[in-house]
Amino acid sequence: MLTDQTIAGCHINGAGVISPQKTYDNGDFLSELTHYDDNILTCILPNFKDYLNPFQMRRLSRMLRMGLSAATICLREAGLKKPDAIITATGFGFQWDMGKFLTEILEQQEQQLTPTYFMQSTHNALSGLIALFFKCMGYNSTYTSRGFAFETALHDALLLLQEKEAQHVLVGSFDEVYHVQYTDYVRLGYIKREKTNNFRVFEAETEGTLQGEGMAFFIMSDQPKPQSWCRLKNLHMVYRPSDYAGLAAELIEFLRGNGATPGDVDVLVNGVSGDVVRDRWNLDLQNNYFDHATAVRFKHLTGEYDTAASFGLWLGAKILKTQTVPEAALASPSPTHGPLKTALVCNHYLGKYYSFFLLTKE
Amino acid sequence: MNRRVFITGYGVITAIGGNGPENFASLRDRKCGYGRLEFLETRYQDDIYCCEIKLSDEALCRRAGVSTGCGFTRTTLLGLIAIREAIASAGLTEQEVRNAGLVSATTAGGIRELEKHFFERQDLQSSGDFITFLDTVDPGEHMERLADILGMKRYLATVSTACSSSANALLFGARLIKTGLADCMICGGAEALAKITINGFNALMILDREHCKPFDQNRCGLNLGEGAAYLVLEAEESLKRYGKKAIAELTGYANFNDAFHQTASSPEGAGALKAMRKALKMAGINPSDVDYINAHGTGTENNDLSEGLALETLFGVNVPPFSSTKPYTGHTTSAAGSVEAAFCLMAFENDIIYPNINFKQPMEELNIRPTTALKTNAGLKNILTNSLGFGGSTTSLLFAKC
Repeated sequence: MLTDQTIAGCHINGAGVISPQKTYDNGDFLSELTHYDDNILTCILPNFKDYLNPFQMRRLSRMLRMGLSAATICLREAGLKKPDAIITATGFGFQWDMGKFLTEILEQQEQQLTPTYFMQSTHNALSGLIALFFKCMGYNSTYTSRGFAFETALHDALLLLQEKEAQHVLVGSFDEVYHVQYTDYVRLGYIKREKTNNFRVFEAETEGTLQGEGMAFFIMSDQPKPQSWCRLKNLHMVYRPSDYAGLAAELIEFLRGNGATPGDVDVLVNGVSGDVVRDRWNLDLQNNYFDHATAVRFKHLTGEYDTAASFGLWLGAKILKTQTVPEAALASPSPTHGPLKTALVCNHYLGKYYSFFLLTKE
Repeated sequence: MNRRVFITGYGVITAIGGNGPENFASLRDRKCGYGRLEFLETRYQDDIYCCEIKLSDEALCRRAGVSTGCGFTRTTLLGLIAIREAIASAGLTEQEVRNAGLVSATTAGGIRELEKHFFERQDLQSSGDFITFLDTVDPGEHMERLADILGMKRYLATVSTACSSSANALLFGARLIKTGLADCMICGGAEALAKITINGFNALMILDREHCKPFDQNRCGLNLGEGAAYLVLEAEESLKRYGKKAIAELTGYANFNDAFHQTASSPEGAGALKAMRKALKMAGINPSDVDYINAHGTGTENNDLSEGLALETLFGVNVPPFSSTKPYTGHTTSAAGSVEAAFCLMAFENDIIYPNINFKQPMEELNIRPTTALKTNAGLKNILTNSLGFGGSTTSLLFAKC
């Protein structure tokens, strides 16, 4: 079996994140926190006027506005006029627009419909819009593979860099809260039935998690720049591991293949979601291999969604960049340590999709 | 690493046939799937004809070898039927593809099933048949189902780039093989007709109320279709291991963005031109080496002009024979790229160029006209196929006969 070792990694040269916490300002690091009591976490919005023109403010849906703003924040931070390629990832895409269009179809018996909601609901509407806005005719794609959508987008970006098809790839995630998905997921046991404050989600000991949303854009480059955040050495995906031992073996092998051991990891970003049923293996990995490391978690800040791993990547990268660990993210009292050089993001989505991202800062 | 990518098998289901041979017979005999909708409930059943697969979901379950009532969406069922044919046609067993990767594209996914009980499911107290479809709304679900049935675990991805989706699925799979990450990839797409799709295209006013007429001066829109198709992509090492002969090699591919408009192609086809040019360059061949182009050719005013001008720009006065197969199958949107890639493989196997049905009058803006008669003994060596989609997405694939 071939492995991912042929991948050369990349440098994260910029980021733009809009999430249920105030993260759109790259100069700030989770200093203001927002509490949620009704199991649904929604984005804290920037002033869109800083990023969009009046036409866009009027015409674009909420998620297109957020996505285009996050992409703009990211490109500005990376000091780029435009990327060479654009790759986006989403679980459900523009479900609000799609639902709006469907509601009109059903209520108006398929008559007198306007196409706007339909046009804005194709999954690549955002990647197309960004291309249009920044006049980027390069490679453009969108992945929608649930808990691997963002990972695959990132993987594709690494391949593009390796194939020398691009030097700067804009990779971004986007997912939004939608009440129909929420109701379905409550029924399925993916979302908690009882109201749980987001900062108490890890103490709840109940099945399911909280519904979240967010978008996170990154510039992945073949070369670092002076203000680079960190290096993404590699990533790895594990689908439906048959047991915990199998998952742990994949993680160790992934680290080994990238010249690392669990002992090298200074910061563990754990994608636990507060779901007592589905968090077990991620907690076991943390306890069995990363006792020495600073452990942080993030799904109490964002809620859960298909592409939430992207927030975990941002958190790990920002910790390495700033050499600070925000208290709100700490999973346990932080051990004293020297410089933070290596971060590992261990995500799971619904206990089916597991992914690892290895980050380093020289 | 820079490995070659071979195609060893394919499977396809559309309105003109439940498998490869049936589809080919229809293409050869000019049999189109265009007609009245029987299985999708819509007020437009008698007004907007489509290319629907005339099998109920229950009948599709039987064909796919799965039980009814287990939450299989129509998209997944079409996908499963095509993927099983693809695996068998590559001379592989389902056991043997467990280590292969799967890139499956869709846009509608389980939307058709969502539509049926949209209001009902929003009430937490209600119950009914929709319960089996609570977790099938998103596009990634169909790929997960396919992977689970086939026991596949590595390199699982779903692509949703509108009407170029499955072409981009093939492109991504090819790159995983080329760069040495995978030996075998199964790539394609599946799409069932849905009310949203029909109403969306209708609201955009790009549906022809009659049988579509690609590249004709009087064309006035597309016909929608449904279907699924998958190709088995293998590395040279993999071919040697099984001692197989490939049908074709994927010698070139390219993905560009038109960066012109949200739902329309640039008038001069800038994205399509770039994509075709790069695919040829990658294969190291000249425009004059292309023997046939399976065009995107939807029949909309915008697409055919844009794509036609790109063809004229690239090939000059020597545009090779080209045709659109959309009048046969309808526009299967996300599945169109892989359906038409499968048609290219059949063209190689039978050395045939398919006629462009319904073409009568050349477009004013163009000097070129599509092939209108079936061409046998065509001497096909290189075939190019285009996929263009909303969001400015343009992808070209180039196949060489093995």
